[in-house]
Amino acid sequence: MTPSRRPAVKAWRLRGHLKETCGHPDGVSPAFGSCRNPHCLRSMRKMLAAVSRVLSGAAQKPANRVLVASRNFANDATFEIKKCDLHRLEEGPPVTTVLTREDGLKYYRMMQTVRRMELKADQLYKQKIIRGFCHLCDGQEACCVGLEAGINPTDHLITAYRAHGFTFTRGLSVREILAELTGRKGGCAKGKGGSMHMYAKNFYGGNGIVGAQGQIFEAYNMAALWKLPCIFICENNRYGMGTSVERAAASTDYFKRGDFIPGLRVDGMDILCVREATRFAAAYCRSGKGPILMELQTYRYHGHSMSDPGVSYRTREEIQEVRSKSDPIMLLKDRMVNSNLASVEELKEIDVEVRKEIEDAAQFATADPEPPLEELGYHIYSSDPPFEVRGANQWIKFKSVS
Amino acid sequence: MNLFQSITSALDNSLAKDPTAVIFGEDVAFGGVFRCTVGLRDKYGKDRVFNTPLCEQGIVGFGIGIAVTGATAIAEIQFADYIFPAFDQIVNEAAKYRYRSGDLFNCGSLTIRAPWGCVGHGALYHSQSPEAFFAHCPGIKVVVPRSPFQAKGLLLSCIEDKNPCIFFEPKILYRAAVEQVPVEPYNIPLSQAEVIQEGSDITLVAWGTQVHVVREVASMAKEKLGVSCEVIDLRTILPWDVDTVCKSVAKTGRLLISHEAPLTGGFASEISSTVQEECFLNLEAPISRVCGYDTPFPHIFEPFYIPDKWKCYDALRKMINY
Repeated sequence: MTPSRRPAVKAWRLRGHLKETCGHPDGVSPAFGSCRNPHCLRSMRKMLAAVSRVLSGAAQKPANRVLVASRNFANDATFEIKKCDLHRLEEGPPVTTVLTREDGLKYYRMMQTVRRMELKADQLYKQKIIRGFCHLCDGQEACCVGLEAGINPTDHLITAYRAHGFTFTRGLSVREILAELTGRKGGCAKGKGGSMHMYAKNFYGGNGIVGAQGQIFEAYNMAALWKLPCIFICENNRYGMGTSVERAAASTDYFKRGDFIPGLRVDGMDILCVREATRFAAAYCRSGKGPILMELQTYRYHGHSMSDPGVSYRTREEIQEVRSKSDPIMLLKDRMVNSNLASVEELKEIDVEVRKEIEDAAQFATADPEPPLEELGYHIYSSDPPFEVRGANQWIKFKSVS
Repeated sequence: MNLFQSITSALDNSLAKDPTAVIFGEDVAFGGVFRCTVGLRDKYGKDRVFNTPLCEQGIVGFGIGIAVTGATAIAEIQFADYIFPAFDQIVNEAAKYRYRSGDLFNCGSLTIRAPWGCVGHGALYHSQSPEAFFAHCPGIKVVVPRSPFQAKGLLLSCIEDKNPCIFFEPKILYRAAVEQVPVEPYNIPLSQAEVIQEGSDITLVAWGTQVHVVREVASMAKEKLGVSCEVIDLRTILPWDVDTVCKSVAKTGRLLISHEAPLTGGFASEISSTVQEECFLNLEAPISRVCGYDTPFPHIFEPFYIPDKWKCYDALRKMINY
């Protein structure tokens, strides 16, 4: 490659980077937030530094920075996706879908970010920097990313405790998520919520309730009665904590258990299938037909929570098999590479960038100070004058401010 | 107005003033089993006053959802005895919403109303006073009025309060208590106890229906023993007005607390414990609690179970003679 070509390639990568991470006007995902993202500013500066270095003919970067050969990629490609099982529906989502290069790269980056973020959380937990409860969703990335791809940012989402992926796709930065996990000030709930209580605009957490069988049926009833535009989603990862679905549920056809509510069963490891199903379900609700149920068949690599090794109720072979045959990130990658939507090197680059982003976020999360002790009593009530909260003995009092 | 009419008046004021306010619960559409919502559906429409299916958990969960979006949710639980399926939603969700989200979200515009207390023939599941269960839960407010005038002001305050509130209405007073009540809205502040009658020898604390029992005991004591009683209506159970009660005990030196709910773990134990911490040296006699027995609320034995004026009078006499 002649020196004169290098600046053009680097500039292209800079533009590409901006589009994919910053939500610039010509960029895409609001989920990545705005340019206030400190990581963006940092790497932008790095990119600019690299470009100026090249232009001034300074020493090259180390060899592992592979310069992507400028080649033409396809703009989009059509893929076949698995047909969904239907309950009380005449027709389901389409069986083919078009994926643009732009979307593909975006989804890949998002899924990889969630994956690495969860693995980093695992690491920090084992180092006891994260305490308490931690429910990881690696393996289930296609669910949160695919879902977000099928809805609008103005739609509302609420979930249970396996929430980190959704917190990210709904717009919070990895920094804020990790800082919340480590219980620091910079966390999205100011460090007081932890793993299960993360909130963002149009995202209501993050709730710690595990067993709510009865409550869900009451919700189904009300939603159907009043034709509420609500998609009920079951991420079926085959296990309820440590009990396999066959041993916990009289009927494992969860998509049918809405009874009078129509349902679909979706391949939750295929992000395109999840996206199409979500679009279909959202259109159904928006047309005023009432609620609908989606069962996403997926898998989690980790145990239920960090205190669960995850192998006492299933075999390592099973986990390995899913990882090698149905890993959602791998599936997307193969599709994109095989249809010339992206190159292997390009995706590897994204991996490297994501790793860096997570590393930085983890640094922040570890170094950020904890919220001050005075905040223990904050936000119990909304009250105009701050009032005193009794502590564990009569000489300890906390102020409650709201 | 009687008590249920004053509640209707308060709800009417709320729906008129606040366009986002909605009332829902079992059978509220036709007016409610105690006629608290009569006429409201006709006046404000069926999308503001509507029935829910028979699921308390769903009612409160639904109410929390409405409140989170910012609308004012007024949920009715048909009897306080039925509030227990919703206990999880109240304690784990409503009470903690603001705290766990670091003030990002809250369900403060939720108010739950429920008929409360003994009624003479209610038996196990139409007579309970569950305020003590909720007093143990930071994040919600618990209020019990003693009369129509109090009820309207306190209910309006609960609805306008930016925290989820539970408002217990003494069902025996729905028709029995009649007072002059203003038609326009007015507020009575929460977390403020009211000294109904001043006295110097002993403080009597109660809430809801029991306030009237204790008032009668005060006049009996005056007449028969020449004892001057200070009567306090606590009004708000959580957060309760520690100052008023302690000031009173510092003055009188004796405290008698009475409620229908069972003795063990009843709210009197919280008051007793705090008062002895704060006013230990002022006390002339041990604090007395005259409460229901530690049994489920009985059917046939109700007259024996409830802390009537004779039991209270007896306890008062013992304290005076300590």
